[in-house]
Amino acid sequence: MGYPFPSEAWLNALKDTLNRDERYAEIAKNWEGDMTVIIEPGERGDPESFPIAKYMDLWHGKCRSARVIDPSSEDLPDAAFTLRATIDNIYKIFTGDLDPMQAMLTRRLRVEGNMAHMLRNVPTVLEFVRCTRLVEIEDEH
Amino acid sequence: MMRYESSTEGYCYRVLHVDLETGQVRDEKIKGPAAAGFLGGAGMAAHLIYDELVPDLDPLSPEAPLVIATGPLTGTTGPAVGRYVICAKSPATWAWGEANVGGLFGPELRAAGIDALVLRGRSPQPVYLCLLNGVVELRPANQLWGHSDTYETQDLIKEDLKKPGVKVACIGRAGEAQLPFAIVLCDHGRVAGRTGMGAVMGSKNLKAIAVLGDQPIPLAGPERFSLLRARINRELRQDLVSEGLRDFGTSSGLDIFDYFGMLPKKYFREGVLDGVEAISGASMAETILSGVSTCHGCVIACGRKVRINEGPERKGPEYETKIGFGPNLGITDLKALVELGDLCDRYGMDTISLSNTIGLAIALYEDGMISGAQTGGLQLEWGDAEVVAQLVHQTAAKAGFGELLSQGALWLAGHFGVPDRALQVRGLELAYHDPRGASGMALVYATSPRGACHNQSPYYLVEIGQTREEIGIGMHPRQGGEEKVLNVVRHQDWTTLQNSLVMCIFANVPAGEVCELLTAATGYDLTTADLMRIGERSFTLKRMINVRLGRGVDDDTYPEPLFEPLAEGGAAGYVPPLENMLRVYYKKRGWSLETGMPDESTLQHLGLASYSHNHSKS
Repeated sequence: MGYPFPSEAWLNALKDTLNRDERYAEIAKNWEGDMTVIIEPGERGDPESFPIAKYMDLWHGKCRSARVIDPSSEDLPDAAFTLRATIDNIYKIFTGDLDPMQAMLTRRLRVEGNMAHMLRNVPTVLEFVRCTRLVEIEDEH
Repeated sequence: MMRYESSTEGYCYRVLHVDLETGQVRDEKIKGPAAAGFLGGAGMAAHLIYDELVPDLDPLSPEAPLVIATGPLTGTTGPAVGRYVICAKSPATWAWGEANVGGLFGPELRAAGIDALVLRGRSPQPVYLCLLNGVVELRPANQLWGHSDTYETQDLIKEDLKKPGVKVACIGRAGEAQLPFAIVLCDHGRVAGRTGMGAVMGSKNLKAIAVLGDQPIPLAGPERFSLLRARINRELRQDLVSEGLRDFGTSSGLDIFDYFGMLPKKYFREGVLDGVEAISGASMAETILSGVSTCHGCVIACGRKVRINEGPERKGPEYETKIGFGPNLGITDLKALVELGDLCDRYGMDTISLSNTIGLAIALYEDGMISGAQTGGLQLEWGDAEVVAQLVHQTAAKAGFGELLSQGALWLAGHFGVPDRALQVRGLELAYHDPRGASGMALVYATSPRGACHNQSPYYLVEIGQTREEIGIGMHPRQGGEEKVLNVVRHQDWTTLQNSLVMCIFANVPAGEVCELLTAATGYDLTTADLMRIGERSFTLKRMINVRLGRGVDDDTYPEPLFEPLAEGGAAGYVPPLENMLRVYYKKRGWSLETGMPDESTLQHLGLASYSHNHSKS
């Protein structure tokens, strides 16, 4: 069974996955930095329901907290990294149809934050994306 | 002293031929199919000297032509278009030679009303060539020859001419000595590094070229161009690759390349080296970076300025220099890499070729094939930056063991009876992108017209995700095979087009926007398909030159050590299926499997049929 995407249930499942995954824990053991993912409207889903944001506090190989934010009613947290993409591109990344590096280098995923830290931790970024792909997404159709 | 004419009519490629022996100059205006078919840069250079590049031609002889070529975008206000190329028969490979360089010299050449210079002959004495607002003059350079390094030469010529704004491209001691990896350097350390173009200049007794111009760069649609460049530059500033280059220089991707096993260590023999992160672009930014430098009008600004302790501000090493003298030699001391890069620039030596050659020497020493007696007592060991610095000095002076290093890796390996140990293609040493970490680079190295080079297709960028779907360049597994061949072909064609414009290969500008810019610049009604065909035509013409020079299908490979898998690191256990990829490649290119020569139908399709018959363009 899958989780609706994007949803709080999916985000909590991702949090559990990250906290269970030994490989992520090892590779991300030096990672310090929370992250907000802002999902913008695209062709998937109801455009009126976007943008939405997901906040994750990632620290030394664990996800300490995660929550969904409605930017229309709540200020975005001042996270170390802010990622922005359309729902279509986020969906492709999390389902394995779009390489995360490719998404960044072709302007489909925009990243703000300490790029030196990001560059030094590419394995962590790729492990994080691998874990997102372990969380099954409910087929809309 | 002679005058030359310039022109602002339509799209017209303006060539100035200079005979350095007699001082005679001749203007040539190229219009029509040749101008439309090659545009400029390296493609046009191949067209200009096609007839002269025959097997018997000694690249260092007076009659060997040397081309310095800009393109239709060079010097405009477009994105990352401050570049030019230098082309000739290479003294390093005796095949097609091409070096690409940024800075301010190329734009100044166009402002002087010259799109390309073709130099022939040998001056009876050392000279430098002045091109000052329509006036050509050969001035004595005896006071520079043997006395001044590449930076001093620029300063002394500017003092001599007393003309504000003069730009200078020059050779160093290595070019004077005609070392096969001698460079041409201009401006603040911008280098035409590969295939020994500095040696060709040296063979002509030409120490430098000084240029000054005040003419506007011709544009067919200046208003349209202005609007486009503003939009494109705005987008380019927000591009992640541009941001990385601006913040961390050309080694911004070092950590990524290392993770994927694309970063060579100890002459491509090992997959892991402790401390590599200490030399990354991010580490440099956090330690010794004091500023950035740009080519003409570029919003990226990838050039680095560094200061060590209270010393002078100097050029920071670029990726290839950093890796070549760094992990390739087991060195992870960033400050030492600044010194070694600076030494090579001042002597005028290509850091890729020289660091390869030194890497080979250390590897042979480690394997007991070179002894301490042969090195003059120097112990060649990985990670010893002081010994490497001594070797750089010795090489420039052709002294001691440096004399053996001064002819490049293939010569050195041959001297010790192991030619297969030199990591090179067509005699040109490998750039620092290990094909075992990214198989597309295997094909790029094996088929590049100038040898094992990364500038005829920086396919390593595609391998990490910089795709171009608009021209059919998608994402494939880094350790894939035949399925990515067409991708490589398209990327080579696109890059070859960039080398004709001349546009920086780091400028991640979508093909459609390049097309619009070029249309506004030239007045031609171009599509992206037209651009790809122009790239393919130029790539193919260079191939035809190489086949004629005997550097065809048998050279489309690389040496045995790269067919051995690495034991550790991101590329552990893998070797690219090069032979299978090559078979598909020839088919996609429309080249003969037996000779490597483009088929008649390919030549017809590209409008090159007149070049195929008797190998002449006329």
